[in-house]
Amino acid sequence: MRSSLGINPPKIPLRLLKWFCSPDLIEDVEGDISELFAQRSAKSKVKAKLLFTLDVLFLFRPGIIKNIQINKGSNQLDMISNYIKIAIRNALRYKGYTSINLLGLVVGITSSVLILLWVQDEVSIDKFHENGDQIYKVFRNMKQSNGLVSTTATNPKPLGDLLREEYSEINSVASVSWLMDMRFDWAEQSSEEAGRFASPEFLNMFSFPLLVGDKNTALDEINSVLISKTMAQKYFGDNWRDMALGEILKLDESIDVLVMGVFEDIGANSTLDFDWLIPAEGYYNANKWVEDWGNGSFHIYITIPEEAKVSIVGERMLSEIKDHTQGNPSAGDEESILQKFEDTYLYSNFVNGVISGGRIDYVRIMTVVAIFILLVACINFMNLTTARASRRSKEIGLRKVMGAGKKSLSTQFFFEAILMTTVAVALSVLAVTLLLPSFNVLVNKALSIDYTQFQTWIYIVGLTLTVGLLSGSYPAILLPTLNIIQSIKGGLKQPSFASYFRRGLVIFQFAISTLLILGTAVVYKQIDYVLNKDLGLDKENLVAITMEGDLASRLETYKTELLRLPEVKSVSAVSGNPISYGRSTSSANWEGKNPSDGYEVNVLISDEDFIKTAGMEMLVGRDFSAQLTDSTNFIINEVAAALMGFDDPLNKDLSFWGLNGKIVGVVKNFHMQNLYEPIAPLIITCYDPSGSPLLLVRIEDNTGAVLQSIEQITKELNPTFDFNYQFIDQAYAESYENEQTVSALANIFAVISILISCLGLFGLASYSAEQRSKEIGVRKVHGASVVQILLLLSKDYSKLILLSFILAIPVGYYVTQNWLNNFEFRTSLDPFVFLIAGVVTFGVGVLTVSLKSYHAATINPVSSLKEE
Amino acid sequence: MKTNYLGEFEELVLLTVAIVHDSAHGLTVKAEIEKQAGRNPLLSSVHKSLIRLEDKGYLKSYMGEATAERGGRQKRLYELTVDGKKVLNASRELRNSMWSSAPKVVWEGGKI
Repeated sequence: MRSSLGINPPKIPLRLLKWFCSPDLIEDVEGDISELFAQRSAKSKVKAKLLFTLDVLFLFRPGIIKNIQINKGSNQLDMISNYIKIAIRNALRYKGYTSINLLGLVVGITSSVLILLWVQDEVSIDKFHENGDQIYKVFRNMKQSNGLVSTTATNPKPLGDLLREEYSEINSVASVSWLMDMRFDWAEQSSEEAGRFASPEFLNMFSFPLLVGDKNTALDEINSVLISKTMAQKYFGDNWRDMALGEILKLDESIDVLVMGVFEDIGANSTLDFDWLIPAEGYYNANKWVEDWGNGSFHIYITIPEEAKVSIVGERMLSEIKDHTQGNPSAGDEESILQKFEDTYLYSNFVNGVISGGRIDYVRIMTVVAIFILLVACINFMNLTTARASRRSKEIGLRKVMGAGKKSLSTQFFFEAILMTTVAVALSVLAVTLLLPSFNVLVNKALSIDYTQFQTWIYIVGLTLTVGLLSGSYPAILLPTLNIIQSIKGGLKQPSFASYFRRGLVIFQFAISTLLILGTAVVYKQIDYVLNKDLGLDKENLVAITMEGDLASRLETYKTELLRLPEVKSVSAVSGNPISYGRSTSSANWEGKNPSDGYEVNVLISDEDFIKTAGMEMLVGRDFSAQLTDSTNFIINEVAAALMGFDDPLNKDLSFWGLNGKIVGVVKNFHMQNLYEPIAPLIITCYDPSGSPLLLVRIEDNTGAVLQSIEQITKELNPTFDFNYQFIDQAYAESYENEQTVSALANIFAVISILISCLGLFGLASYSAEQRSKEIGVRKVHGASVVQILLLLSKDYSKLILLSFILAIPVGYYVTQNWLNNFEFRTSLDPFVFLIAGVVTFGVGVLTVSLKSYHAATINPVSSLKEE
Repeated sequence: MKTNYLGEFEELVLLTVAIVHDSAHGLTVKAEIEKQAGRNPLLSSVHKSLIRLEDKGYLKSYMGEATAERGGRQKRLYELTVDGKKVLNASRELRNSMWSSAPKVVWEGGKI
C-alpha cells in the first residue's frame, strides 16, 4: 500500500494532539485528521503539513480536550476539609486547653513581633543613603604612653584637605561639625536651633533631599544657610516654599546668612541630625585653630567607590597625622582608621582603638530573646498536644484501622498546628497593632507596621508557617507512631522517650525563663549601680546653665547676682559638663616627664569655686583660692597624679598651652565619662573662666521657685537669649537611656517568658492530675491528706524546674559576666542574684503546679472513682 | 417538545449525517457540507458538533474499519437516532408552519 510510505503527518502536532485530546475521541479524531492530511499531501506536502498543524491547534477546544484530572482517584481535598472539621471540633470541645494553647502562642508571637520590630528599626538606621555602602567615616586613635588608646571622630581639618587632594581612590570628602546650637533671627521670629557646619560635598554624599534649592551649589557660598522644613515653617509660615529662598537670617546676632535651600526634615532613622547646615568655610574662617594638624575638629566622611581600594586607603592614611605633626609641640602618637558609615551606629564602641560592639550587642540580645520567647511558646504547644494525645488515641487508632498511613496522620497534626497558629497570628496582629503605641513610648521610637505592603504579608505568612511547622513537628512525628491496638483500647501508653522528651522541653523552657530573669536582674543591678554610683561629685541639686551671648564675659556680675538668692549655695563657671567631658591636650609637660612620651590629658577650665560647687573632695593639697593668685596653678586628679608618677605631687611644675604653674592639690577621682570608660587623667585650671560655656549652680533644694529666680536674673542680664539649663543628675540618667530601655524591655519579656512557660506547665499539670485522678481517689480513700497528694503531684515538676535552674546557672553566669565586662565600672555578680532568679522561677512554677494539684487533691474521691 | 434547540450548524451537521448515511464520520461530513453548502468548516468544528449531538442523543456512533490513509486508525461512524430524526422533523415542521403563516404578499410583493 502506498499509504504507509507516503503518509507521515508531522510528529510534533500529532504528539500535541495525543497529549490534550480526550482518550475517547483520540482514535477517530486522529484518524480523520490523518486521512485529511493524506488527501492534502497529494497536492502539496508543505501545505498539508501546515494545515495539519493548524487543524491540531483548532482542535484544542473544550469538548475535545480531556478533563483535567489532577485529583483523579485521590481524596486529598476531602481529607483536608475533614482535618479542619476535626481540628475545630477538638478545639471547641476542650476549651480550656485550647485557650491555654492559644494564649501562649499569642503572647509569644506578639512579644517576638514587637521585639523584632524594634530590632529591625535599629538595624535600619543610617541605611537610607543611596551611596551608603561607599561612605566611610574617619576615626582618630590617640595612643597614650601607658598603652591605652582612645578613639575620637574629631579630626584635624588639614587631614580632610589632604585626603581630598592627594587620594585618587577617594571620590569625595565631606567635613561635618558636631551638633551646635545657633540663634537665628528673622523679623519677629527668633529661636535657637541645632545644626551643623558642613563642607559642600555633604549634600551630594548623603541623601538628604532638598525641597527648595540646588544641592550642587547650596553650600558653596560662605554666607549661606540651609534650613529644615520644620524650621522654614516656623520662620516663614505655610508659604515657606515661595518665601524662604533668598531671605536673610541673622546668625547669633552678628552675621547675616542667606537661605539657599530647605531640606526635608531629618527622620529618626538618621544619626546625622540637624535643623540647619552652614558651609564649613564660615566656621574655619572664624576659628583659625582648626588649621593646625594637632587639633581635632570636624568629623570627616569619605566615599570610596571601589571596595577593593578601602584597605589601600586605610593603610596609606594610617600615619598621615603623625607624619604631618612631627616637630609640632602638641603632636600625639595618632593613627587614622576607617569605619563604614552604615556601621557607625551599631558598632560604636572602641576598646583600645579597635571596634568592639556597641548597640549591636543589644540588637543581638533582643533578637535572641525574641527567638527564645517564640521557642518557649512553640514548646508549650508541642507539650500540650502530645500530652493530650491520649484524648485522641481512639481517633488516631480508628484512622489507622481505616487505612490512614503515618504520612496522612502527620499531615493531620501539622494541619492542626498551622490552623491553630493562623488563629494565633491573627490575634497577635491585632494585639501588636493595639500595643504598638504604648510600646513606642517605652522604647522611644516610632515603629509601625504597614499592612498595605506586600512584604508585611509575606512576613506574616512566613511567621505562621514557621511557628506552625515548628510546634506541629513533634506531635506529627510522635503521634502517628502509637500502637493501634493500644490506641483503640484506650489505655494508651506513650513510649517512654516521649515523656522524657516532654520533660526535657519543660526543662529547656524554664532554663530560658531563668536565664531571662537572671539577665534582667543583672542588667537592673548594673543600671542601679550606674545611676547611684558615687561619681566623685554631688550630682543632686546641681544645675548647669548654658551661658549664651556675652554672658560669660560678665561672669562676676552674674555670679554675684545669683549668689544673692538664698537658695543658691555656690556658683562656678566651667568649660563643660564635668560628668561628660572630653577636652584634652597631648602637650602637657611636668617635672620628670620623659620628653618622648605622649599622654592625652583632659583639661578642665574653671574658677576658684569649682571644687566646692561640684561637691568634690580634695585628697591632698588645697582648693583654688580667690585670695591667692591661682590662675597659673593647677589641681590634678588621682589618675593624673599616678600617671605623672609623683609620690608627692604638691608644688611640682606643670605646663601646657603655654601656661606654666605648680600643682597645688589633688582632687579625688570623679567620673568624667560614662562608666564604660576608665577615669582619665585630668588637670583643672582657673586661668580664664570667662570663656566658659557653662555655669554650675549648686542649689539648696530642687524646686521650681529657685529656677524661676535664676531664670529671671539670667534674662535681666541677657534679655535676648533663651534660658537653657539642665540638672546634672537628670542629664546623667538620660545618658543611660539606651541601657534603661533595654532593661525595661528585658524586664517585660522575662516576665512574659515565665508566663508562657507557666501556662504550659499549668496545662501539663492539669493533664497529669487528670491522668492520675483514680490514683488520687484511691489514695484519699486510704487516708492520704491533701498535703500529701499536693506533694505527690508537685514533686515531678518541681524537680524539673530545679534541674532547669542548675542548667541555667553556668550559661547565665557566662553571658551576664560578658555583658558586665563592657563596663569599666561594674557591679559584682553575687550569688544573691542567681538565688533571686532561681527562687522566682521555682516559686512561680511550683505555684502553678500546686494550683492545679490542689484542685485535684480536694476533689471528692467518689466523683473520680464512681465509674468503672 | 424538547427544550433542546438545534443550532444552525448543528442542524446542518445532522442533515449531512443523514445524507452520507452509512459512512458518516468527521471527514465525510466535512466534505459533504462543503459540497452541499459551499462552506468550508473546520474539522474541529465538525468533530465538536458531532460529539455534542451524540451527547444530546441525536446521534449514535460505532467504530468502523481502519484504513492505511488513516494511519491505521478506526473511523467513528455516526448515524441518526430516533430522537435525531424527530428533532430534524420538528425543526422542518416548525419552519414549514412559519413559512405558511407569513402572508403571501411578503413573498410576492405589492402594497399592503
